[in-house]
Amino acid sequence: MNPDLMNSDVHERARLMIALFGEERPGPEELSNAERSWLAAHLESCASCREFAENSRETIRLLRAIPITAGERLVSTTQMRVRQRAQELQRQQERFWVVCVCCAAVTLSTLVTTPVLWRGFAWMGEQARLSPPVWEGGFVVFYLMPAVLAGILLLARGTFLTDHNGSYQD
Amino acid sequence: MNAAACYFVRAMADENTEIAHGLRRRDPELLDRLIEEYQHRLLRYLMYLTGRRDLAEDFFQETWVRVLERGSQYDGRHEFSTWLFTIARNLVIDHLRRKRPASFDSLADPDGLAPFDIAATAQPSAFDTTVQREQNEQISAGMQHIAAEYRETLVLRFQEGMSLEEIANVTGAPLGTVKSRIYRGLSALQPWLKGARL
Repeated sequence: MNPDLMNSDVHERARLMIALFGEERPGPEELSNAERSWLAAHLESCASCREFAENSRETIRLLRAIPITAGERLVSTTQMRVRQRAQELQRQQERFWVVCVCCAAVTLSTLVTTPVLWRGFAWMGEQARLSPPVWEGGFVVFYLMPAVLAGILLLARGTFLTDHNGSYQD
Repeated sequence: MNAAACYFVRAMADENTEIAHGLRRRDPELLDRLIEEYQHRLLRYLMYLTGRRDLAEDFFQETWVRVLERGSQYDGRHEFSTWLFTIARNLVIDHLRRKRPASFDSLADPDGLAPFDIAATAQPSAFDTTVQREQNEQISAGMQHIAAEYRETLVLRFQEGMSLEEIANVTGAPLGTVKSRIYRGLSALQPWLKGARL
């Protein structure tokens, strides 16, 4: 038997059963045979609980009869809004993949070109008779400059370089 | 469980899995179908939750946008409606947190808790229509006056036909609290029934 129903007095117990499972005929998964028999016997002998049961049934019937419907306009507006948002998300997804591909290409290109560029700077340093720290410093500056510029531009997004929607101004 | 019940349960599980796959793909056809299928149920729930049609309609749209954005989080193991109502409820709660009112009740129409607009329904006679409409208005007025937690639980139980466990999942309340809310809500609504009886 349901332990929640055991601790109350008989009327409370009966009314709780009615409120929770007070359909026309509660199924066996809702109330056991013993509980249903007990409830039926109690309702036979208790007028106030019988009235509560009738009122509950009527209340539930009226609750189910309240017609609240969504208008066609609301549905079509919602569908349109959802489709627009889906397109936005699709575009964001595409942009994300473009950025990923670009990052991969830059990484690959860096791996391939760095040794060549290093040797080039070493050769130029030798020709110009520069000490190694000088041409190595030049290499680092040359190497990091594009990333620094890109970082500055990205940080500027959302400030004076963009409009109110956050899109980039040409 | 008999064969018909087994078949029904499996069909529901298949449908939920199909919805989960569609939401992961952000399938627009599926979303259109779901919006149409759940339009009345979701709006009704939101109207009882917020107590206002204009707010409920805003949340209705927001809920479906959120379903689109978070579709990949739905695993198909639970009923779609339970997940949908949970999203709607969380949106309303987020809105409440931003506004910092005390409870759902603070969303209700400040001009005297007017009952919801009841749509006129096609009935065989004018008398029946009038009786039905007046009963609906009376019980709607009752719903507006009981605590929002009771109102929400009654809607989920008796209008949406959810099980006690599903209601506990949607509301995040313990099972015992859900039972207590149904009992207390139904009891609080009964005085309004007398007015609804002609």
